[in-house]
Amino acid sequence: MDGLLLIPIIGPVLAGAFLLAASFAEHRRTPAAGGGAAERGSVSGQGRKGRPKALSVIVMTVLSVSAGGALFFAWSGERSLTLFSLVDTIPVFFRVDGVSRFFVTLVSVVWMLAGMYSLVYMEREGEQKRFFGFYLMLYGVLVGLDFSGNLVTMYLFYELMTIVSFPLVLHNGTKEAVMASLKYLFYSLCGAYGGLFGIYILYRYCDSLVFTAGGTLGDGAAGHEGILLIAVFAMLIGFGAKAGMFPLHAWLPAAHPVAPSPASAVLSGVIVKSGVLAVIRVVYQIAGPELIRGTWVQYAWMSLTLLTVFMGSLLAFREKVFKKRLAYSTVSQVSYILFGLSLLSPMGAGGALLHTAGHGVIKTGLFLTAGVFLYECGYTRVEQLGGLGKKMPVTLWCYTVLSLGLVGIPPTVGFLSKWYLAQGALSLGKMFGPGSSGGGFVVQDIGIFSWLGPAVLLVSALLTAGYLLPVSLRGFFPGEGGEEPGQRRKEPSLCMLFPLIALAGLTLLLGLWPQPLVSLVNQVVEGMF
Amino acid sequence: MDFVQNFPFFSILLSLFSGPLSSVLNAKWAKRVNAAVITVIGCMSAAVLVYVTGTGQEYVYMMGHFPAPWGNEIRVGILEALMALFFCVIMLLSMIGGSRERELELEESKQNLYYIMVNLLLCSLLALVYTNDLFTAYVFVEINTISACGLIMIKQNGRTMEASVRYMIMSLLGSGLLLLGICFLYDLTGHLLMSNIKEQVQLLALSGNYHIPLIVSLGLMSVGLAIKSALYPFHTWLPDAYGYSTLSSAAILSSLVSKGYIFLLIKIFYRVIGFEIVRESKVIHVLFVFGIIGMIMGSVSAIREDNIRRMIAFSSVAQIGYIYMGFGLGTAEGVIASIYHVISHSASKSLLFVAASGLTDASGESLRYRDLTGAGYRNGLAGVAFTVGSLSMVGMPIFSGFISKLLFAQAAIGHTYKMLLTLIALAISTVLNAVYFMRTVIRIYTPVPEGFLIENAQTVTVRQQPSKSAALVCFILLNLFLGLNSEPIIGLIQRGLEMFD
Repeated sequence: MDGLLLIPIIGPVLAGAFLLAASFAEHRRTPAAGGGAAERGSVSGQGRKGRPKALSVIVMTVLSVSAGGALFFAWSGERSLTLFSLVDTIPVFFRVDGVSRFFVTLVSVVWMLAGMYSLVYMEREGEQKRFFGFYLMLYGVLVGLDFSGNLVTMYLFYELMTIVSFPLVLHNGTKEAVMASLKYLFYSLCGAYGGLFGIYILYRYCDSLVFTAGGTLGDGAAGHEGILLIAVFAMLIGFGAKAGMFPLHAWLPAAHPVAPSPASAVLSGVIVKSGVLAVIRVVYQIAGPELIRGTWVQYAWMSLTLLTVFMGSLLAFREKVFKKRLAYSTVSQVSYILFGLSLLSPMGAGGALLHTAGHGVIKTGLFLTAGVFLYECGYTRVEQLGGLGKKMPVTLWCYTVLSLGLVGIPPTVGFLSKWYLAQGALSLGKMFGPGSSGGGFVVQDIGIFSWLGPAVLLVSALLTAGYLLPVSLRGFFPGEGGEEPGQRRKEPSLCMLFPLIALAGLTLLLGLWPQPLVSLVNQVVEGMF
Repeated sequence: MDFVQNFPFFSILLSLFSGPLSSVLNAKWAKRVNAAVITVIGCMSAAVLVYVTGTGQEYVYMMGHFPAPWGNEIRVGILEALMALFFCVIMLLSMIGGSRERELELEESKQNLYYIMVNLLLCSLLALVYTNDLFTAYVFVEINTISACGLIMIKQNGRTMEASVRYMIMSLLGSGLLLLGICFLYDLTGHLLMSNIKEQVQLLALSGNYHIPLIVSLGLMSVGLAIKSALYPFHTWLPDAYGYSTLSSAAILSSLVSKGYIFLLIKIFYRVIGFEIVRESKVIHVLFVFGIIGMIMGSVSAIREDNIRRMIAFSSVAQIGYIYMGFGLGTAEGVIASIYHVISHSASKSLLFVAASGLTDASGESLRYRDLTGAGYRNGLAGVAFTVGSLSMVGMPIFSGFISKLLFAQAAIGHTYKMLLTLIALAISTVLNAVYFMRTVIRIYTPVPEGFLIENAQTVTVRQQPSKSAALVCFILLNLFLGLNSEPIIGLIQRGLEMFD
């Protein structure tokens, strides 16, 4: 029975490989042998009208079947599967626990919606088969990543994720795209090596590399705290590269603008969260929060995240290219999550997880709207985005709701998560006394950070409002001369609109009825401490 | 005595005599004989491996019923049998993969000479692997050098002439140093048989006499073999030799010839000097430092290279550096990692050479990096194979390179002052490898802009090149096998190494 766990991992990978082979065969047949330029753009859409439809059916069937399978396995109790061993005693090992349940759900929802959107969007970009080939494979790899039960399996899928996702950035094959994808690749590789360095050391001192609540450091670790702390720090920086944390964040603003919009949406919404997943696994389930609590690693980590939050917002505020602005915003928002994790308290971690879900939904939606602007009007820069309220009111309303969510205005999920994050930080300060959460939890004083953190979060929220809301403002109230005469209403097709509405709706719903999400998060947090 | 125990001796003799036999055959038959010999020897080595693993005991095989000082001995353990088997597999695949190039590039009348060289090369490799006598090892080192020179030169153009002369000079320098070292050792101990030398060396080490000559002879032998296996800074012969020779020569030279010398060095460390003494000498520090420099400089040169064959050749310099770094750690784990890397690097490097030639076939035989644009679409299998080889070189999980990197790092952990250096060098080298390999992978999958397609570019299908495609598929599978199922191989290496003491 547990062998079935492999279905949502292998299934999409095989289907993706099949699509890649098909795309490959197509390339072969072109006379120039290797010239993809001939069939780019609208040619492929009009030339063979029947085939993209078949492609959509295949993609959606595979996606929904495997997402259904993944969700079923994730939600039907604990299960595990041990495959062959990779190196001496470390097997490829899958296990479903709370953390994987949480992340698989996020990945599946986002993947379905963005997949639906890209069915229409990618017609114009061309090379659909190649895109969907990698898209499906990436889904399988991500499910594998979420289901991984030990550190080495996770690392395996983490690297696979890098390899499979960089063709998405490379998609349009221009020089810029090549440079951006190489940049992405190198940042990821450097980061992953940081992680691997940590694995080498943890492997020696930990009892096992299987994820266990509270960590697996054994007696052998006593006296080696120094090297262990260095290892954990290297892993934080390394896996933080994927999550866009400060020293290795620069790939995000390079990769997002050149990738097709659905690709940047899942890149920002989900792939970046894999860094968060890796950090959770390492800090809470291998090294254990006790190891780094109150050490220089925790303070350095907190400082880095706060720096990133502030810097990302500021850069986003100054940026004029819309997708680049959103990318900087991701840099800043994901560090909210990491800040919550760095508090090492249940409340902080809960806030971080809430924000993971919230930001995953919201940022995917925002990139998809950016895609709509690009697809319908060809706009890429912020100042071009005036007067869209008349042209596509539904899209712009979705955008507004999503932006409010990211800023953290009350009836949205963003407010909820930021509330928990700020609470988590404040509860660790002296003047506020011990937090109410966590029975046997040692309350620790994090000094200046207990108020500095919330303060930075607040300033950054203001900046977020400053860089997102003007678009809505100028969209609905273009002012004198901003409106082109004779504009007609022209919403995108339903296939593209539905994911936007769904994501905006989720932002509101999760904010209005937070109970299911909060109880899920509580359950996950219990598995971490 | 079991019949299987004769097999190592049979395989040496078989390969030795198939050489002269090939000289009277025409090219076609020489090729068949060669393939048959390699296959048979491979099967025999596999049988020996199974036998030795089963008994768990190494055995000494006396040739011609004369006891040791007069007769000659070979010694068979798990590691020897494993290496012999592995060399046969790689050699067979390389020969299959390069058969089309040999027919195109070599003169009709010279083709059977090629097979003589390959048979002799195999013979000398087997002898290096199995022999228990230091002087026999030296003799076969020379045979190895001569036949390797022939393999480079047989393409007969200016580049390969120059390359083989350069190879000859460097290689002879190496064997000269090795011979000097052996002479010193003979002078000190009065023996040439490995086990006898070791006994005497242990006594010398205990008594503390002749410490300096002992270290000098160890140093001479190490440096001699390091030159022959292209450790930085003695690598200058390598890029031309691998870059311009015919395909199967390049694959065999990079994955077998240099590895044979490395294996001999391991035998010298363990079976002649004794690893304890090697560890206490300063020689391993030197190997460590040059290994690390090689890891980085090899990659830097590869990044600057515009010719894809030479780029892959320079990457060998870096990989040889890894192996010497493993020796330099001075622990059994380090040596195990090095031996594993010998295997994994051979498998990936010959894969890369064959795949690169598939790509150049589709690009009008041009070796220039720029002309390979889109070649992955024109020759699908070669593109996939090159990607697999590259990912393995970068050290991605599920491919063999990852395992060796993991082993190196594990060996380094806990080492007092070499740990950080090793890990940093591994990190830098990983990134540098990624720079040039991933750059090439992207290049071969970049569609060609309209009108920029180079002349003579053509689509190559599996059917047009059946033998190369078959070799590529086998190489890919071998790589995945080593990456996913490394445990039995590591176990064999470990047990084999224990038998060495």
